[in-house]
Parts: sequence; C-alpha cells; structure tokens
Amino acid sequence: MKTLIKIKPKNYKAGDIVKIDFMAMHPMETGMRKDKDTGNLIPANYIDEVKFMFNDTLITKMVIWESLSVNPLMSISFKVPGEGTLKVIAKDNKGQSVETTSAINPKG
Amino acid sequence: MERRSFLKGFGAVAACAVALPHVASAAEEKKSASPMAMNFETAVAAITGGKALVASAKVKMEAPEIAENGAVVPVKVTVESPMSANDYVKAIHILASKNGNVRCANIYLTPANGEAFFGTRIKLGGTQDVVAIAEMSDGSFLTAKQNVKVTIGGCG
Amino acid sequence: MRTLSITAALICLAFLGTANAEEKLSMSDADKAMYAELLENNPAEMDVAEGEQLFGELIGTAGYAKMLGVKEKDLPKYIAGFPRYLEPAKKVVTLAQTIQMAAAANEKPVPKLESKEMVKMSAYVKSIANGQKTSIDVKANKHMVEMMKLGQQVFEERRGGRGLSCNNCHSMDIVGQRLRMQPLPDLGAKETAAAGTWPAYRMTQSQMVTLDKRMQQCMKNALLAEIPLGSREIVALEVYVTNKTKGNPISVPSVKR
Repeated sequence: MKTLIKIKPKNYKAGDIVKIDFMAMHPMETGMRKDKDTGNLIPANYIDEVKFMFNDTLITKMVIWESLSVNPLMSISFKVPGEGTLKVIAKDNKGQSVETTSAINPKG
Repeated sequence: MERRSFLKGFGAVAACAVALPHVASAAEEKKSASPMAMNFETAVAAITGGKALVASAKVKMEAPEIAENGAVVPVKVTVESPMSANDYVKAIHILASKNGNVRCANIYLTPANGEAFFGTRIKLGGTQDVVAIAEMSDGSFLTAKQNVKVTIGGCG
Repeated sequence: MRTLSITAALICLAFLGTANAEEKLSMSDADKAMYAELLENNPAEMDVAEGEQLFGELIGTAGYAKMLGVKEKDLPKYIAGFPRYLEPAKKVVTLAQTIQMAAAANEKPVPKLESKEMVKMSAYVKSIANGQKTSIDVKANKHMVEMMKLGQQVFEERRGGRGLSCNNCHSMDIVGQRLRMQPLPDLGAKETAAAGTWPAYRMTQSQMVTLDKRMQQCMKNALLAEIPLGSREIVALEVYVTNKTKGNPISVPSVKR
C-alpha cells in the first residue's frame, strides 16, 4: 500500500493549526463488483481503520467503510504543539497494515 | 438547431450508447446485499443511541451540488467548536443516505486537532443526501446535509 | 438492453436540444472549485513519484539528456516540444518512445508502451516540463508536416460500425453540446489544456492514464478498432491533438473525470 502524507501549509509555527492530508493507494473494493473475466464477485477489500498519532499519542482515529473512493484521501486539522513525529497507521479489512511517518518541524 | 450540428450531436450520443450496459449491470448487482449493508435509520441510531439529531448551522458541510462522477465526490465537514478539553467535537460521522451501506467514515477527534475538520472523497451510488453528524462533548448530536446530484458524464 | 439504449439516447437528445437547461445540469463555480482542489491531493502523485524512481534506475536524467543530445538543464524546454522527429529513431516519437530508446541505449530491458511502469515513467518525464508551455513545432521538418497531415486525417476519418470519427464529438462547432450529461470540451482551450495535462488521474477509472491510452478508450466506446499504441497513426493523432494546445502550460499529473 503506497501512502503519502502532506502537511499544509509547508511552513508553520508551534501553535498553528495545519491540515494533514493522508492518501493511500488502495482499491477500496466494495465486494459488489464483478470480475469481468470470471463473473465472480471481487471480495470486499477496504481500509477500515486509520490512526493519526503525534509522538505516539493518538490525535484522531477513523473507522472507515468501503464507501470512500478508491485511493482514498483523509484530511484532518492538527494544532502543532511543537517538534515531533507524526505517524499514520492505516489498516485494511484483510489485515494489511502500513505505517507512514512525517516529521513535524515548526519554524519560529 | 442547425441540421448539420444536430446530426453531429446525434453521433456523439450514439457513440456513448455502448457504455450503457455497464449502468444496467451495476443496477442488477445492487440487488444482492453487501454484508456491510446498513440503512440510514439503523446507522443513525447506532451513532446517537436514540438521542435527538439537531440540524445546526455549526456544522458546515461542503459537497458539490452536481457530481459528474459518483466514484469521486469531495466532501468536507467543519464543526464550529473551541476544541478545548471541556468543549470539543468527539466525532464526525459521514453518511451517504442512499448507498447500500450508508456509513462512510466515523472520525474520532480530540482537542489536539485544534479544529473539528474532516475532508475526504466518497462514492455515491446515485443522487442522494450526504449527511454529517457531529457528536459533541456535551453528549448532543448536531447534523447538516447536502444533496448531491450524480450525473453520468461523457464517454468512457 | 436495446430499449434502454434507445431511451437513453432520447434523453440525451432532449438535453442536446435544450441549451437553457444549463443551470440545472452543470456544476456551479463552487462545485468546480471543489473538484479543482482534487489537484492538490492527486493520487497519481504517488505514481509519478514511483515513475521518477523507476526512471532513475533505468536511465536517469543525465543519460536521458545525453541520448536526446541536449543539456540536462534544457530538458524541461525540450520535453515540452514532444512529439518530435528524432534522427536516431528516423521517425516522429512520443516521450514514451524516447524512454524505450534510452533504455535500449543503456542496454536495459525496454519497457512496453502498455506497461504500468511506462505509464508512471512517461508521466514523470512529462512532469519535468511542468510550467513550460506546450511547444510542439509541426512545421519543424518534413516529417512533422507529414505527421500533422496524417493526424488530421485520422482525426477526421469516419470508421467503425457507426461511422464515427474523433471529429464527431470534438469538432469546434459542437463544443458545449452534451455527451450524456457532460458538455463537450474544446480540446484546444486553455482551461481544457488537453495535451498538456496528460497523463492524468481518471476518476472514472481510479488510475493514471496516458493521452494515447485515453484516445484508445475513446475509440473503444465509439465502437472503433483501437489504433495500436506506438503506431504511426496514433503518434500522428497525438501530434495533431497536441498542436491544438500549443502555447498552453504543461501540468502533469492532472485530474480528469
């Protein structure tokens, strides 16, 4: 699962509220789509949980269903307390899990 | 309408008729229910535990009025709140009122968010209301909705 | 099924005939702004990043510039001018074909035009020219003149069971009419910026698609035999369509319906 974290704006100070955009390359299969060749239903496969952590403290937990678009985007706000590491843990219903980190580096 | 351009326009329609079987088969597939399927009333009850939903201007829901493609519909929700330790938004729930499984996302926030915001993109099976429910730290539930018309655009 | 198709065709016709139904069918400016924001979080960015890595392993910008016979710092400007006639190839080639040439020159396995790796790499290479203006020169030499002529011929040739050509839906005099519910675009318009914005993430397919592949998808839906990728005819079509957007900025990857 390829992932990408973006923090907007790029330059921020401690105390600023920034946007954290998290994207993952994931098929988000609904379980209702048929394989064109075999005619069989493609099993549901979707990200069902995403956790946003800052220095190992949970900021936001998401429970997700198959209704999110393919290659989903999840965007939240975050009030920057200071320097640290942002970690996003995304897990799908088949147990595949991926951790993505991004440094939080406030300037000034 | 000028005859020549009318005929060209007709060509454009004929060109796309071929894409219709997909629409038909998608409708047929809907008949068998997904194991995740849940209707709107059940999903709302699961969130609120039977408490009242209050329509509120504090919940700002942004979604397009017209979506040219139901596979990617941008949705943004902001809830007015100080996001302090005593007064914050505990959760934002996004529901697509007529999808087989109406539940899209439950976002459990903390005061560390600084602002109660969630942005995403959802799939809509057809024209319907997209509903946001905000669960406040005082135990109340505020809501807002936006109707999104899903159209079928262009060729292929 | 047949009844359904005919009904749908009639519905479409009804829309074609009512130009003043615009406000009910089209996205508002606020709607368009929401979709424009998709560009800021385009899933295809992850593909382009992977394309950069793959391209680096296969060729690298230094080796690529050398193969093309230009300085590395001039790559953005040079890439903005494709398709071009290249003497080593003895033909007019697309960026994807230059990647094949460079891989062969490096004695590396030559990626197929259809491959996922090639889509990612060609998107990366095109993105090197982001911010440049599309600068194809269809009068640069006799080869480009010939390809432009062939491109126009392919664009206008009616083919297939329904006798359709590209021009049926993309001639200038039907711009703004509706195909199903979407207004037909002017391929040359700055806001469409057709050639300069491919490869693009197609929302309907949830994946990044190249311009030539998009043209094939169009042919398939219009019941035309698909012109093979890399053939003289599809390159000519790319020349013709790219020339329509000459002077418009390159911005890759974009997001399309």
